[in-house]
Amino acid sequence: MIVAENLEVSYKRKQKPVLKKVNAVFDDKSLILGPNGSGKTTFFRAICGLTNITYGRILIDNVNVEEIYAKTGILSVNFPEVLSLLSVKVYDLIELYANLTNGNSAFAHNILDELGVSEELLKSKKLHELSAGQVKAVCTAIALSMNAKHVLLDEPFEQLDPARKDKLIKYLIEYNGIIILNTHETWLLRKLLEWKAFFMFEGMLYGAILVEDLLKTKLSFADDPHALIKIKVSGRPISLVKGRKGKSILSLESLDKIYELALEKEKS
Amino acid sequence: MTKYFSLNLKSILVNPHLIFWSIVFVEFWVFMWAYIFSVNIPEVEEAIREYLSLAYGSLIVISLSSVSITISQSLIYSSKSIKLVTKYTRLSPSKFLIENFTSSFTVLIIISMIMFASTIGVFWNKFGMLILPKNVLGLAAITVLSAIFIYAISAFLSLLLVLLRAPKSASFITFIPMMLSFIAYSSLWVDFQIGAYISPFNCISSLCYHYFSGKQPLTGAFFMPSNGKPMDVTLTIVSLIIWTLSLLILAVVMLRKIKGVGIEEIELV
Repeated sequence: MIVAENLEVSYKRKQKPVLKKVNAVFDDKSLILGPNGSGKTTFFRAICGLTNITYGRILIDNVNVEEIYAKTGILSVNFPEVLSLLSVKVYDLIELYANLTNGNSAFAHNILDELGVSEELLKSKKLHELSAGQVKAVCTAIALSMNAKHVLLDEPFEQLDPARKDKLIKYLIEYNGIIILNTHETWLLRKLLEWKAFFMFEGMLYGAILVEDLLKTKLSFADDPHALIKIKVSGRPISLVKGRKGKSILSLESLDKIYELALEKEKS
Repeated sequence: MTKYFSLNLKSILVNPHLIFWSIVFVEFWVFMWAYIFSVNIPEVEEAIREYLSLAYGSLIVISLSSVSITISQSLIYSSKSIKLVTKYTRLSPSKFLIENFTSSFTVLIIISMIMFASTIGVFWNKFGMLILPKNVLGLAAITVLSAIFIYAISAFLSLLLVLLRAPKSASFITFIPMMLSFIAYSSLWVDFQIGAYISPFNCISSLCYHYFSGKQPLTGAFFMPSNGKPMDVTLTIVSLIIWTLSLLILAVVMLRKIKGVGIEEIELV
């Protein structure tokens, strides 16, 4: 279980915090939905202990993340920069992380094979020599092969074509552990009905709500007392309300569009 | 040992920058010392030994500090990964440092052996005499100590850069050992006096000279009419050991504190 308590993160002193008093408990497979630049990746960095926490704390299985050292099987993440321990061929990199975490490199190879990343390519290229989509696929496969209880996946579907997205999502559903997945895409909600959903806007975290329930809600650009979740976007309230008419979250292909919609509503 | 040891060893050894700067570039100077600069050296074993010792002592420092650049750059490149692996894999900060050290140390010893063999070989070819060190064990010990020191300064500088979050200075900082080794090289003409004890690069150069030639090293100005003063060998060794231990301890402390600098932020040469 990952717990965030009153978490604040700023990159520079006297700068406005990127994450603002974030409180959350992740005890099951969860999605963090939010537009680009909302603080999702910074939140993941804080969970990993890769960025300075200005205020509050992160607990992983009741242990402060700052105090965790050399513990395998707790956490993995698919950030390319943290999976670039050595400038070696990708094949060796996969074997390295499996070796360091008592992970399963064959599992990573299976995923990559299904995603169309051949072993030949892995043996001949370094990570930075792959395309953006291939890098994402490799890093996600490494993160999933590390046999970690908590897996943080930052935009794992970015740059993947629809067929590959479908193949990858199958592995996420079957994974035996807690996955926290950051995304600004909404298409995957239909496939992950039993997951929890959080929203992140402008450094604030909202939720959780079951995806199944989320799909029954409509967007209301007002402060609705019956809302299951209320979000603030550029100071304007947005409510997700059940049983109303209006746009569903699924109608937004990307959550980046929520800003446009909020502006449109304000003008009208 | 984990797979990290073997893969790090392989990645450093096949690094083209390392091959060029630590071997090809320095070998060029070995040939220069043997064939060009040696015109006034009498063909007497003792004179050649002293000259060869000076060449070896001066060039090994340059060669090893070139390896230092590769070690530092690889540490900086992987700084964010280091934080992750020391938290969520079998490699604790100290274990990581041990494995990174042993693989880098192996590279430094291999480079030292190449330098040793090639210097003796090239001088044998030029003078027709096989000149071996007077004190082989002493030279071996000082080679080991030098390799540990070079690793310590590489780790210290790269972790300092990461800790200070100064990625734009990466090129400059990783080249500091190389710059200091060229300053040490200038002791052939300049008397560094007390500075010869303070600079660890001068210490390496002087100790290699001492164990190769069997003569007492000087504080500098080997090629000048008035030479520097003879150096105290024990004091020189103590100075090098203090430098090495201090830098290693600081590196371990910093490793626990680093948060990492993104690869994209680093401007490496």
